[in-house]
Amino acid sequence: MANTTPVFGDFLGPADEHIAAAVSFSGDLPYDAQRGVIRQLDRLLTTMARFLTDLPPPDDSQPSAGPDRDTPARAASAQLALDRAARSLRPVAAGITAAQARSSHQVAGHLAAAADHLGAGQDLLQTHVMLGPGGIRIRRSYWAPVITSEPVTSARLGVLARYTQNLALWIGQQARRHPAVRRTPTAPQLALRAAEPWLLLASAAIRSAQPARHPGPPALNLLEAIPVNAPPPRPPSGTGEPVSQLCEHIPLTAERVRQATFIFADGARWSPAATSASWRYHALAAAITGHGNELILRTLAERARQLTLEPDLAAMLAAAADDMTCAWQSWRAITGHWDILTTGSSPHAGTTPVAAEIADLALRTGRLAYRNPDWAPSHHQASPIRDPADLADTPGGIIAVLTAVHHATDAITRVAATDHQAVAVAVADNRLCMPTRLLPENYDIPSPYARAPRSRTGALLSGYDTAITATARAATALDDLAVFVSAPSSALGAIPRPSIPAQEDQRRLPDQMPAPQPSGVTHMPGRTEHQLRKLHIRDPALLLRAALIDQAAHDLVTEATTRARSRDRVMTQIPRSRPRIGPIKRPAQLASQDTPTRSQPDEQLTHDAETAQPCPTASPYQSSSAPKAHSPRSC
Amino acid sequence: MPQDHEIGTRLDQAASLAEILAAGFDAFEAIRIVARDHQDRVPELFAAFMTTANAAVDGREALTIAPSLSPASQARPGQILAAGTGTREAADALAALAAALGERLSQAAALAEVPGDQAACQQGAAAAWRICELMTRGEHDARLR
Repeated sequence: MANTTPVFGDFLGPADEHIAAAVSFSGDLPYDAQRGVIRQLDRLLTTMARFLTDLPPPDDSQPSAGPDRDTPARAASAQLALDRAARSLRPVAAGITAAQARSSHQVAGHLAAAADHLGAGQDLLQTHVMLGPGGIRIRRSYWAPVITSEPVTSARLGVLARYTQNLALWIGQQARRHPAVRRTPTAPQLALRAAEPWLLLASAAIRSAQPARHPGPPALNLLEAIPVNAPPPRPPSGTGEPVSQLCEHIPLTAERVRQATFIFADGARWSPAATSASWRYHALAAAITGHGNELILRTLAERARQLTLEPDLAAMLAAAADDMTCAWQSWRAITGHWDILTTGSSPHAGTTPVAAEIADLALRTGRLAYRNPDWAPSHHQASPIRDPADLADTPGGIIAVLTAVHHATDAITRVAATDHQAVAVAVADNRLCMPTRLLPENYDIPSPYARAPRSRTGALLSGYDTAITATARAATALDDLAVFVSAPSSALGAIPRPSIPAQEDQRRLPDQMPAPQPSGVTHMPGRTEHQLRKLHIRDPALLLRAALIDQAAHDLVTEATTRARSRDRVMTQIPRSRPRIGPIKRPAQLASQDTPTRSQPDEQLTHDAETAQPCPTASPYQSSSAPKAHSPRSC
Repeated sequence: MPQDHEIGTRLDQAASLAEILAAGFDAFEAIRIVARDHQDRVPELFAAFMTTANAAVDGREALTIAPSLSPASQARPGQILAAGTGTREAADALAALAAALGERLSQAAALAEVPGDQAACQQGAAAAWRICELMTRGEHDARLR
């Protein structure tokens, strides 16, 4: 089953082609066709204006610099110009139905198809955000921050500016054509002449609204990769899936884990399934998935050497495997904490929506790692690890498997953050306890459970901190690998991953953003525009021209500043050593290498005996069974 | 299968529901301890032992809220394996103990009069049978490291 989840690029590409086809027409349009074209142009421009109306305000969680905060205001000006252009066309378009217009000429057909695709693309983007009470913009997916990010907003505006400019130029040509049979312009031509300057203004305004003037191909790729916010169908969980099918199904399963995790995040406090049994199970599946991923990465590293591919690739795979080791060990440590801690047994609690999906992920990862096509986490189905050539017969096979591992790991990073937050809420609500029977017999407590000591709950939360950091580090290593081999999963690295929340933020729901500011509130006019406003000029065309002049001045100063800084840097630059070969280490990775190793549950138990003050005072049972550190390298 | 360790003997000899529940609680705890101890020894069995430990916690949690189980512990799980026991032998021992446990808890569920006890025994038995399945060897076992 191939990934059939629609992405924004599925709509943008055809829209691009249809607009290009429409504006490439250079012949004479018959009168009826002119009216049909105008009707479809009206529709297309209205759709494009909706893109600007729906443009999200910049994400307040992301630092912004320079003129970027003006984006909504400038976009509003562009939207106004597009609206005026559409209004200029509307009288001529009246009286002709959409169907008549579409079939009136091939150009009208292309414009209609472009409007259809852009409208569908806009609808796709809207699935990620909704407006809540009081105008609060609520994120409905983990992609939402990507859509509101500056690079993607710039890419989106860049596309619109290009369309607007191309349409304006084409309209200008058509408006001034003089067919042999008529020397005077037709009514549709006059309408086009009226619309043309508005379109040119809109194009310029959209460009000036771009937070980044040249967002570049990565931002456009990311925009095109945004999927519709709906879980893909659950791949059938049959046995005997070959490697190629597992590589197709694991990204789908990972996406289902991500979506279930996002949805369940809201239920951390009230859901009956928000129990230790659920979190324990998530941690178990995350540990098994990570363990399998480590084996897969080591096998891939071996295969890269066998195929004599670039030595850097094998080294990066081996380094990612080391990071993966730390990740699954951190999850194993969490399962050790949950051996003792509990929210109490509740037979009717049920399981989280994440549980079924993450179980699928662990199962498929295991089946990719091991030879047995029916592998399961049991002694009965245990089998030797796959041979390297069986896992990836060609370099393309390495990329496919790596993509699967990348998706699986990215999904686990989101489980880590969500569970951490949910567990923090449970700790704050004093919901965690321990079975009384695990306490020494002289503690006569007439209840099956005693409240968990703070030292133990603190260790659990620290365990989640470690898991978040370690899993994110493994995911980052895979981001770098994906870029290195141009894997289809490269876009994952651009989606913000959750980090350890600050103490004071732990009770705040992550999906709430400040209400959008009314358009224009954040708009700070430049000097020229300010002068016009002082003169009570309200003509948008003049105001837009003024804004453009201000923008051009700002750009000139920015460019000059950049050049000056560049010159200074060249003067003082110290010769650099050659870039080292090997995995790219990001600052966060380097910093986290100094992260202290976690304390083991065993030590914690000893500590509890001395310090715990439950109700009544608990002195925990001394267990010799807690997970032992097993470190192939320092985590 | 006869159990030549303390917890096995307790399970065999438990006469009352309270004794079966208490022995069952300690048996689950003993299984968890052994599973944790062996989970990192053979990479191919990591998932199996991790899942076994999780199932043991499930079983222990189910029994914890049984009305007839005394909150205070009178005993400890004790050792069910001799020092230096290999991983496959440990798995065999866990499978055997879990089978005995599943059987005793199934019997207890049939005898329990209080619904809470009955549900606890049924869920405990299900966890025990799951552990038995998880730890039973398969055809690939001989080829594992």
